[in-house]
Amino acid sequence: MRRLLFELSFLKALFVVNLSSAMEYRASFITQIVGMLINNGIYFVFWLLFFDRFGSVRGYQIDDIYLLFAIVTLGFGLAFLFAGNAGANLAYLVAQGRLDYYLVFPRPLLPHVIFSRMIVSTMGDIVFGFVAFLFTGRFHPIEILFFLLSSVLVALLLTAFGVIAGSLAFFMGNAQYASQQITNSLLTFSMYPNVLFSGLARTLLYTLIPAAFVGAIPVQIVQGRDGVLLLGLAGFVLLLWLIATAVFSLGLRRYESGSAININV
Amino acid sequence: MQYEAGKPAIEVRDLAKRFQLKQKAPGLRGSWQAVWRPEMREITAVSPLSFTLEEGDMLAFIGPNGAGKSTTIKMLTGILFPSSGHATVLGCVPWQQRRQLAYQIGSVFGQKPQLWYHLPADDTFRLFARIYELDMKSYQRRRDFLVEAFQIGDLLQTPVRKLSLGQRMKCEIAASLLHSPRLIFLDEPTIGLDVVAKQQIRDAIRTLNETENTTIFLTSHDAGDVESLCRRVIVVNHGRIIFDDKTSVLKRQYLRRKVVDVRFADALTEPFTLPGVETVKQGTYGVKLEFDSRQIPVESVIQQVISGHTCNDINITDPPMEEIIREIYAV
Repeated sequence: MRRLLFELSFLKALFVVNLSSAMEYRASFITQIVGMLINNGIYFVFWLLFFDRFGSVRGYQIDDIYLLFAIVTLGFGLAFLFAGNAGANLAYLVAQGRLDYYLVFPRPLLPHVIFSRMIVSTMGDIVFGFVAFLFTGRFHPIEILFFLLSSVLVALLLTAFGVIAGSLAFFMGNAQYASQQITNSLLTFSMYPNVLFSGLARTLLYTLIPAAFVGAIPVQIVQGRDGVLLLGLAGFVLLLWLIATAVFSLGLRRYESGSAININV
Repeated sequence: MQYEAGKPAIEVRDLAKRFQLKQKAPGLRGSWQAVWRPEMREITAVSPLSFTLEEGDMLAFIGPNGAGKSTTIKMLTGILFPSSGHATVLGCVPWQQRRQLAYQIGSVFGQKPQLWYHLPADDTFRLFARIYELDMKSYQRRRDFLVEAFQIGDLLQTPVRKLSLGQRMKCEIAASLLHSPRLIFLDEPTIGLDVVAKQQIRDAIRTLNETENTTIFLTSHDAGDVESLCRRVIVVNHGRIIFDDKTSVLKRQYLRRKVVDVRFADALTEPFTLPGVETVKQGTYGVKLEFDSRQIPVESVIQQVISGHTCNDINITDPPMEEIIREIYAV
């Protein structure tokens, strides 16, 4: 337990250093956050216009979209605010031989690598997530609690998925683009009402690209105040993390380092 | 496994590393074929190597580019798994006990900075204190000692991106020594630095070795680093050890030639000659001289040069490492 607390306090120290580094450039820092807010806002307005025109899609209404957006954007924001190196960045580090930097330190490798970068713009996602939740009008304490817990689980899920996608670089070499595509597809599918999909596509969203666990299921958890489903989601996240750790560890044995000169530009 | 004092700091037995390399014919046609029928070739980065290094020793592990130096260091620090063979570093098998070993070793890769680029070095120092689990009191004491040794007191609050290469490198090395490692791997620590910065770094490393008995494992293309720091030299080429002896032996046999570049204030009107010294190149305002320092001392050559001319600049260098290795092969 003491060890775990120490590792968490180390991750906190990493976060503080990251934040200080990001705030060195004030204008860029603020622009990225505001830019992401606007970006999400535009996407959101599209759905507002859509539901204004069509009313509902197979039972999915604008209130569901508010909640879906709130959970997905908050989950995504939390994931990549803290673990900015999961996903395509991990693939880049592996392909460029830049894991060397982390391998010489006595810290658990995977958390050290993924928590060593903060994507500043995700602060805009986090703010957007909370604002979208205000629109849902769901202020029952259980709903608020389940919304927060679901978002944290979604963040953990996205991070684990990012680790798996990024670890492809151990096996494929330059997998930056592929891992970017894979993580983007997870995010994209999770932002659509899952009632739109059926058959094979729906099966895919519950298995290979588990977008249903990022969007539809957390929405169900909050709407139905469903504690059992919340536990189910937690179980799935745990399973995905076990797979992510195994894939990363297996890949690490194939790591070839590299001679890339690190030039900061 | 616990490291026992008196045992070698590094023991390497038949350590080898091979990589699979994809081969492709030149051009688009070759690329197309490689997509469907990739041909793999195995290359040997490090042939089975065996050596030991005693604790407190200073070893130069040198060789030309592609000789296998960095790959060896990466295996000894736990970054890479070897293809075969065995090694222990301070009693740990590096690729199996990476984290345990990391508390005891430091590493500086001259071309791969560890300091956070946008922050002052002091912020990275504090992060490293957390990484190595140092308590604040001992961290502060150690930091003060290193600030003194590397003369970096006035650099620590400046963002790293605004430091010169020499200043940055001093901070890099100091950062890697915060946890008082018993063994430090230095991979090209003086690359691209001017004479003064090189000397400051060498002095600080020597002081650490003398005061704390820190074992030094150095790779460098700068013969000056080798000459002024290390008592023992291992030369590798194509992944094999081709020389393993005292630095004094290398110096006596191979580091005897010196190169002197002179810039004169006035134009030379006639060929520049000195007895026993070869004039390699002569321009209007400068000459490049080469001589055997065992036959003629450096001071004597310099004295002769400045006695007859007004000089703007004099630069004394060793022959490049590649030349020394060529000489070793020639013997």
